[in-house]
Amino acid sequence: MPDTEFNEEDVLTRASQGDRDAFGQLYERYIDRIFNYVYYRTGNLHDAEDLTARVFQRAMNHIRNYTDRGVPFSAWLYRIAHNLVANWHRDRSRRQEIPINDVPVLPSKGDHPERNLVRSQEQDSLLRLIRRLPPERQSLLILKFVENMSNAEIGAIMGRSEGAVKSLYHRTLLALRDQLGDQSINLDGE
Amino acid sequence: MKNSKLETVKPEDQLFALEEHLAGALKPITPPREVVTRLRERIRFPQRDEIVLRLGNWKRLFLIYSGVMSGMLVIITIARAFFYFFGKRQM
Repeated sequence: MPDTEFNEEDVLTRASQGDRDAFGQLYERYIDRIFNYVYYRTGNLHDAEDLTARVFQRAMNHIRNYTDRGVPFSAWLYRIAHNLVANWHRDRSRRQEIPINDVPVLPSKGDHPERNLVRSQEQDSLLRLIRRLPPERQSLLILKFVENMSNAEIGAIMGRSEGAVKSLYHRTLLALRDQLGDQSINLDGE
Repeated sequence: MKNSKLETVKPEDQLFALEEHLAGALKPITPPREVVTRLRERIRFPQRDEIVLRLGNWKRLFLIYSGVMSGMLVIITIARAFFYFFGKRQM
């Protein structure tokens, strides 16, 4: 929902001139979304916190280089997050893997705290399958379902056309459906 | 049992059901309040990064370096002149 008092263009101009308070406003506006993205990509609260901090630090250091070329500021931030998470996965693949079952469950927006504790087994299995997908497909699903973005918005972040995103999404669904068949997860819509 | 059900459902219905499952599993989360506060503090006071940023400003660095070198040269020249005029007489 657009904030009437928040003029992003003005805030961005001030932030790019070194105004810390202006950058603070951008931080407040995007922290949840970037944290969500990083958390679902890493599946780890501590790494999500660390990487989110790095995303905003990098954004602050390079905000002078950000020029509005029709790409929203959020897309620029997501690209930074996308690159940092990719580096994180690359570094991590050289080290020992943490079992995916250790992933903590965070409260979902709009849910009751008690309900958050009881995440269904099917959803956990699905999340595990999603994390086994190639990074681009994971990003696509997170941006689509967690951030409710359109294909065009996702394309701006991933550097792909709207059609390419649509096609990738369809292929991702097909791949997931095939894997779910092996996992015995009910897809009969009941 | 479930797999046999899967086979009876149309492929497009399966994809629709899968999208519903995805929407259920991939919900927006609220980062813990202490995490948001901690992150804000880390970002507000990035002392190390600020230093790196300042060191990255090569124009300013060049001016500081040339200023220090010029100052040193002036001091050395004056010291040598003093030594030449006064040190020689005492010997």
